[in-house]
Amino acid sequence: MASSRPSSRTPAAWIPLAAIGIALVALPMIGLLLRAPWSRIGEVLGGDAALTALRLSLVVATAASVLSLVTGFPLAWLLARRGFAGKTLVRALVVMPLVMPPVVAGVGLLAAFGRRGVVGSVLDEWFGFQLTFTTGAAVLAAWFVSFPLAVLALEAGLRGLDERLEDAASTLGASRGYVLRRITLPLLAPQIAAAAVLSWARALGEFGATITFAGNLRGRTQTLPLAVFERLQTDPDAAFGLSLLLIAVAFVVIFGLRGRFLR
Amino acid sequence: MSRRALVLALAVSLAAVACEGSASSDDDRELTVAAAASLTAAFTVIGADFQEETGVAVVFTFGPSDGLATQIVEGAPVDVFASASPAWMDAISERGPGVRRRTNFARNRLAVIVPTDNPADIHELDDLATDGVQLVLAAQGVPAGDYAREILANAGIADAALANVVSNEEDVAAVVTKVLTGEADAGIAYVTDVTAEVAGRISVVEIPDDVNVIATYPIAVIADSGRPDVAREFVEFVLGPGQGVLADHGFLPAK
Repeated sequence: MASSRPSSRTPAAWIPLAAIGIALVALPMIGLLLRAPWSRIGEVLGGDAALTALRLSLVVATAASVLSLVTGFPLAWLLARRGFAGKTLVRALVVMPLVMPPVVAGVGLLAAFGRRGVVGSVLDEWFGFQLTFTTGAAVLAAWFVSFPLAVLALEAGLRGLDERLEDAASTLGASRGYVLRRITLPLLAPQIAAAAVLSWARALGEFGATITFAGNLRGRTQTLPLAVFERLQTDPDAAFGLSLLLIAVAFVVIFGLRGRFLR
Repeated sequence: MSRRALVLALAVSLAAVACEGSASSDDDRELTVAAAASLTAAFTVIGADFQEETGVAVVFTFGPSDGLATQIVEGAPVDVFASASPAWMDAISERGPGVRRRTNFARNRLAVIVPTDNPADIHELDDLATDGVQLVLAAQGVPAGDYAREILANAGIADAALANVVSNEEDVAAVVTKVLTGEADAGIAYVTDVTAEVAGRISVVEIPDDVNVIATYPIAVIADSGRPDVAREFVEFVLGPGQGVLADHGFLPAK
């Protein structure tokens, strides 16, 4: 597919435009590298607040990613392989969190799961359980925003899968579960990895819905992006350092998995 | 889209960005004022009055005083800064760009606020130390957050009450929101935050005078303002006709 003769066909005007695109993405990261407080970087990144936020971020993003995969796979399956009434509507609904401003997502989560929300008021009255201000709320916010990415990646994978391979296995007497475990899932591994990484990365960066819905408390709901925001109010240099940490974590994961799905 | 159209679109958007930047620096018909979140209601009225009298439109950016001060130190184009604590005005003097015509223009008291249905049954300050109360404060560094912690220390309930904190909010307005929506059982905010709009949904629990903190609000012209004359005029306006508006909103006069 990919042609190895780019020079002959690339219009001259594309080079500066592409350069602008690269600069757009690279300059903020270069800026952070230059402004980070290198003289006290150990104190900023090794401090209790940073490590606590990092640990919480990893827990929240991983939980959200797993939840997105587990709940996203069956939905992706239905969207890819079954015709049903309202399918277009469902697909539009599923991508809504992607196009919704995260703070709106947070307000929506409050309206649903807040103490006076549709579901939240029932939880509060029947079980005396309040979700807001808990780590669970941070996970729910991250799950909400990362879910569409998992569904879209898995649906694309399922569509690309040759169903005849599964049919052949069934014809040879394999049970449904066996086909899923030994044929479908292994063939889909690269897309599952892509879905996991994309939803994980989105969950790791989640800010607006989290601070609106879950609040901001160290060790419970203050993920790295919230810690960056809090430090930015009083100590921007430290915020630059924390931002670098966040970028480094995301970069290591994306780069480490590049062979899997990024080419 | 043809290539020419694409290049044109790019040029236009770059030009638009450039114009946006230059227009704000030398237009005397517009003034940028950064003000503490607790001043939102009062300053919005003062800004409208000021525009009516002078024809100068005031563009406000409301937020936590610490965040606003940091933005100004970082070079945000602001003409006037009104802070909820002297400390963050000092920061601009110390870390740049400096201030002119600094004056205290108002004072404020703090209060405990609870949702009207008062789910945690809070009737006095000491109730904030009761185990399990979902307490929301402004973050440390935010004036309202620092004052709140000072009050809890004055009352001798700092340890127990701070253990009840479920969220450190960006500014005092966010504290009010968390109580208003009923998510939090209680918060500590300024008495002026209980505006007419929210009065029906929030109840106030007074903090005794011997432990309460009186917040002093300074205002000043930022030294590198491109419109120092209009900026000074606005400061004078706050100290003059603005005082009545501030009193209407529950602020105390500056000493």
